[in-house]
Amino acid sequence: MESLDELENQSIYIFREAYRKFKDLAMLWSIGKDSTTMLWLARKAFFGRVPFPLVHIDTSYKHPVMIAYRDRMAKEWGVELVIGRNSQAIREGMDPTKGRFVCCNALKTQGLQQILDEHGYKGIFLGIRWDEEGSRAKERVFSPWDKNFEWNYKDQPPEMWDQFNTSFGPETHVRIHPLLSWTELDIWKYIHREKIPVCPLYFAGEGKRFRSLGCVPCNFPIDSTAGTVEEIMRELQVTKTPERAGRAQDHEAAYMMQKLRSLGYM
Amino acid sequence: MSEHDTLRIVIAGHVDHGKSTLIGRLFYDTGSLPEERYREIERTCREQGRPFEFAYLMDALQEEREQNITIDTAQTFFRTKKRPYIIIDAPGHKEFLKNMVTGAAAADAAILLVDGAEGVREQTRRHAYILSLLGLRQVVVAVNKMDRIGFRRDRFAEVEEELRRFLQSVGIVPSFVVPISAREGDNIASRSGRTPWFHGPTLLSALDAFSAACDISDLPLRFPVQDVYKWDGKRIYAGRVESGTIRAGDRIVFSPSGKSTRVRTVEKWGAPDLSAARAGECVGLTLVDELFVERGEVIGTAEDVPAEAREIVASLFWLGNAPLRRGRPYVLKLATSETEVTASSIDERLDSSTLEVIERHADRVENLEVANITFTLSRPIAADVFETNPRLGRFVLDDGGFVAGGGIIREVRTGAPGGGTRVIRLDARLATEPDGNFIDLTAEPGPVEFDLSAGFADRLARGEQVVVRIRSADQLEKLARLAFGHGLVLVFRRDEDGSKATLSGRGEESVVVYDETGPII
Repeated sequence: MESLDELENQSIYIFREAYRKFKDLAMLWSIGKDSTTMLWLARKAFFGRVPFPLVHIDTSYKHPVMIAYRDRMAKEWGVELVIGRNSQAIREGMDPTKGRFVCCNALKTQGLQQILDEHGYKGIFLGIRWDEEGSRAKERVFSPWDKNFEWNYKDQPPEMWDQFNTSFGPETHVRIHPLLSWTELDIWKYIHREKIPVCPLYFAGEGKRFRSLGCVPCNFPIDSTAGTVEEIMRELQVTKTPERAGRAQDHEAAYMMQKLRSLGYM
Repeated sequence: MSEHDTLRIVIAGHVDHGKSTLIGRLFYDTGSLPEERYREIERTCREQGRPFEFAYLMDALQEEREQNITIDTAQTFFRTKKRPYIIIDAPGHKEFLKNMVTGAAAADAAILLVDGAEGVREQTRRHAYILSLLGLRQVVVAVNKMDRIGFRRDRFAEVEEELRRFLQSVGIVPSFVVPISAREGDNIASRSGRTPWFHGPTLLSALDAFSAACDISDLPLRFPVQDVYKWDGKRIYAGRVESGTIRAGDRIVFSPSGKSTRVRTVEKWGAPDLSAARAGECVGLTLVDELFVERGEVIGTAEDVPAEAREIVASLFWLGNAPLRRGRPYVLKLATSETEVTASSIDERLDSSTLEVIERHADRVENLEVANITFTLSRPIAADVFETNPRLGRFVLDDGGFVAGGGIIREVRTGAPGGGTRVIRLDARLATEPDGNFIDLTAEPGPVEFDLSAGFADRLARGEQVVVRIRSADQLEKLARLAFGHGLVLVFRRDEDGSKATLSGRGEESVVVYDETGPII
């Protein structure tokens, strides 16, 4: 079996396990290429339908192109979209000048926590991948986060042979990661093969493109002339720059992402 | 299988034998390390006033870097000219064995790393044993830190010899044993001038010689039902083909319910003309008769249905903090089935590093031990013996909601537990130990009848003897009858090791049975 087929089948298997095991599920859709691919895979798993809502955490700093793309695709694919916002923090003027750690934690992590609490979701699909960044490389497919929204990365239960841990305490929510073993290049190859429409910001204009999508103040485009999916695939085969190089929050301090993630960041 | 299939490699071995360093080296030498990652590691090392440390590539957590250990398994990616690889770094500390197992269970092949100066250590052996219990057979051994021992051929040969002997005892034949220095790059991507006496491949060529996950499409069909969806007025049986191939029109049988029908369609979103699915594919089936079957049932063909197991004999490694106890209920998860089971007998407890039997007929298995156990199932499930079909021959045990152990099935019993008589041919069970021949019947809970080949009866008559470890008075009685029938001598003894009966051809009387107080028959 070809690698892409193997990855696709593995993701479908994970989706179906989660759907069988958890009642209150939702999928986090960041509008980026990974979670859009994840959404496509959910439709594959459930024969064209998406039997749970999509949650977008809107920090209010997202690029308008992302928001327009989100609303267009949600309508076209007929998915239920739930927008989460930490309105109080936004009203009080939270922005990266307060510190990137503080801002990410307030607008993203707490934004997510609020929407989980409000809707009572017990399981949430996240499109993170092992090859993105060090602390994500340590993740399990089914990953429990306790009532304080914390990840106990020092003592994770074993996971083997596609037997996932699915009985967690009532105060726990579980994060399900159907894309863990995909690489950035796999994602683009799959987007190419399946012709998945992705957000236009990924494609170069005036010598720049976004390799990873985030909030406007903290996300910087890379120098690139890749204007098509094929050109992006070619670029990735020669680049020596990591995917998240343009994401300022990753680089502000040592172990920043580990700290953010142990508190519930995606 | 395309040659670009990704190969998943786990790197196992004792703590400090250089796993994380080797991974850094593989990355560096294959040009797979992004410059920025390299600079980030350089910066962190400089801030901490240490030399450049490749280990930081995998040990990303602060605790790991500060304590110089790998806590959890990490996955990362590199590529050679031949194909892409996923590298799984498995922690070498004993207390993180569950993380090692998590990593190793996902691998197609393994590098077993051993420090050339230190030689084989506790976790080297334990990891090798776990790899074998996980069914991994593609293993390359890397003898690391050759620079520390002056690239000496004799020392390398010593370590190689010691390792090969141990690996053989757990059923692993390494494809290559390669002398390397991960820190200095010898024999990793290119041949080292410092080991002119070594004529084998470099580590990377050894990896390139492995094959990706074996093709199990040729095995009989196994399609465990994962879920049943009732959408748009149809019933879709969702699942993954674990082995074999399923086609529209096939006559199929569900196990253990025994229900039977034909496949109407094989469905996948975006593939309207699909007519078959092969091993590894997740699809949906619609059936000619819309049967009521539940998740956990396994579809096979009329010619080859998986066994309806009521009892399972398995080799199991235990990762639970609380011991596994005989008689206590656990949930056994095999493919998509979940069944309450009890360990009806713990036939042997073994030290997972030395492979020594700690105890026979035990009543518990402690953390990190391996055991041979007979499980009684609360209801029958479809199962295969591991050697016949690995996908349906392995399981995990769930204790209180978490995976606490994993095992492979050695034997499936289909009769009601304790019911039905099994005929056992004694010479088929014969094992030879340093102190003589023995046959172990302690794992046989039910009624038995014995049989003996003429050749084996002759050997005994000529003076050989065999010690039979027995479980019950019923077995003793049947052995006595057998001895009587073949004109052999039977001596019964009970010591701290359990009950034993010795069968031999010597002596005048045909049957003598003793206990501590003297002859009883």
